[in-house]
Amino acid sequence: MSASPVAASDHPLVRSGPALLEGLDGGRGLTAHRRQYGELPRLGLDDLLATLARVRLRGRGGAAFPFETKLRTAAAGRRPVVVVNLSEGEPASAKDCGLATTRPHLVLDGAVVTARALGARELHVVVPRDRPGVGAAMRVAVGERDDRMRTVVHTADSRFVAGQARAVLELMAGRPNLPVTAWSPEAVAGHRGRPTLLSNAETWAQVGRLVLSGVRSYAALGTAEEPGTTLLTLSGPEPTVVEVELGTPWRDVLPATWADRPVLVGGFHGSWVRWEDLTAGRVSVDAMRAAGTPLGAGALVCPADCPVTFTARVVDYLAGQSARRCGPCLNGLPALATALRAVSDGTGPTDRVESLAALVVGRGACAHPDGTVRLVRSLLATFPAEIAAHGASRCAS
Amino acid sequence: MTARLRVDWPSCRARGLCHEVLPELVDLDEWGYPVVGGEVTPDLLDDARAAVRMCPRLALRLEP
Repeated sequence: MSASPVAASDHPLVRSGPALLEGLDGGRGLTAHRRQYGELPRLGLDDLLATLARVRLRGRGGAAFPFETKLRTAAAGRRPVVVVNLSEGEPASAKDCGLATTRPHLVLDGAVVTARALGARELHVVVPRDRPGVGAAMRVAVGERDDRMRTVVHTADSRFVAGQARAVLELMAGRPNLPVTAWSPEAVAGHRGRPTLLSNAETWAQVGRLVLSGVRSYAALGTAEEPGTTLLTLSGPEPTVVEVELGTPWRDVLPATWADRPVLVGGFHGSWVRWEDLTAGRVSVDAMRAAGTPLGAGALVCPADCPVTFTARVVDYLAGQSARRCGPCLNGLPALATALRAVSDGTGPTDRVESLAALVVGRGACAHPDGTVRLVRSLLATFPAEIAAHGASRCAS
Repeated sequence: MTARLRVDWPSCRARGLCHEVLPELVDLDEWGYPVVGGEVTPDLLDDARAAVRMCPRLALRLEP
């Protein structure tokens, strides 16, 4: 099985930022956290829903789903469960890891205030096995608190798809930590059939920041359409987590060393963007989605090798990360990886890549085949000249 | 009224009975796994129900 072309980090460099990552010098303990933010207020469900709606808070795990809608759905059922998902399966992302090791109480505050508003008595915290620093930080943080809430820490497997929502629910239920078919949304029927509000660490930290600092302070950053900030992981030899206001021009965010090179936006399930196209725009969930290059979970990769070679390596890795349960993924991704390697070596046509991509998309319990296809299709669409050069064994790099 | 045939992919083992029962709608890929061609039209509803019933892996569902 191929190793990830980018190693998962459990100690990214976390730069201070304007909101979530403000005042990191105080340390990550509960005392310093309370000194900075004060006591966690208690909000009723209606107040919390109204507060979330005013800043249009969206999930930060990749899908950018409106958090208020998800909360409203979970609130409609009986005995809801709240899950903090820190199992970042995407090796190129380290933002949830960065939050765990610098801001664990902001993450937990967001989850606890929501759990209380829901009347939930159970909080589940899911940490990744391959980033031990995350579990260590979260266990210490949970131990420091007195939330009067049953809190359980689960450890997710080291696998790309282990952090997927249904795979996390399987882990919580004591079954193998692999995706299964979702017949209804988690917020309707999740953990043991109960409504489950499962979000990643950044989403919970955003909720925490919002209730601790208030709408005015939260919306003072970002744009009118997209208030607040977002976390990004700038992948590389030293992965760096940065917090930027939504609406910030990309040219102010990206390292100078990346200049004029293509960037993979949204991690291994993401899309390629040429430097000139990316730096003409801004950090925006809506604009990036409209451009067909969604921000995803905010992981950005700028590889040293050419995008054709790099994508072939990533797809090799992703094929090996299949849970091996869904036939089209189990058979299709290795075939796709082989076809793409042939294109990269100049020994095969792109037609086979395109037909395999069309064959695996939409045919799995989770989005692993779909995400892999997004990456492959964006390579074909963005770099036709580079692919042709590979075909003629004239790759410049 | 049309319905949708959904495959529970982790349960499917490419036995291919769905294609036998409902060739109008279910094709098989190069590894023998079903490729569902579209929505279940009223004239195919009975055959679709039979496909769901006969799947040895119980990996098919008919959804409204």
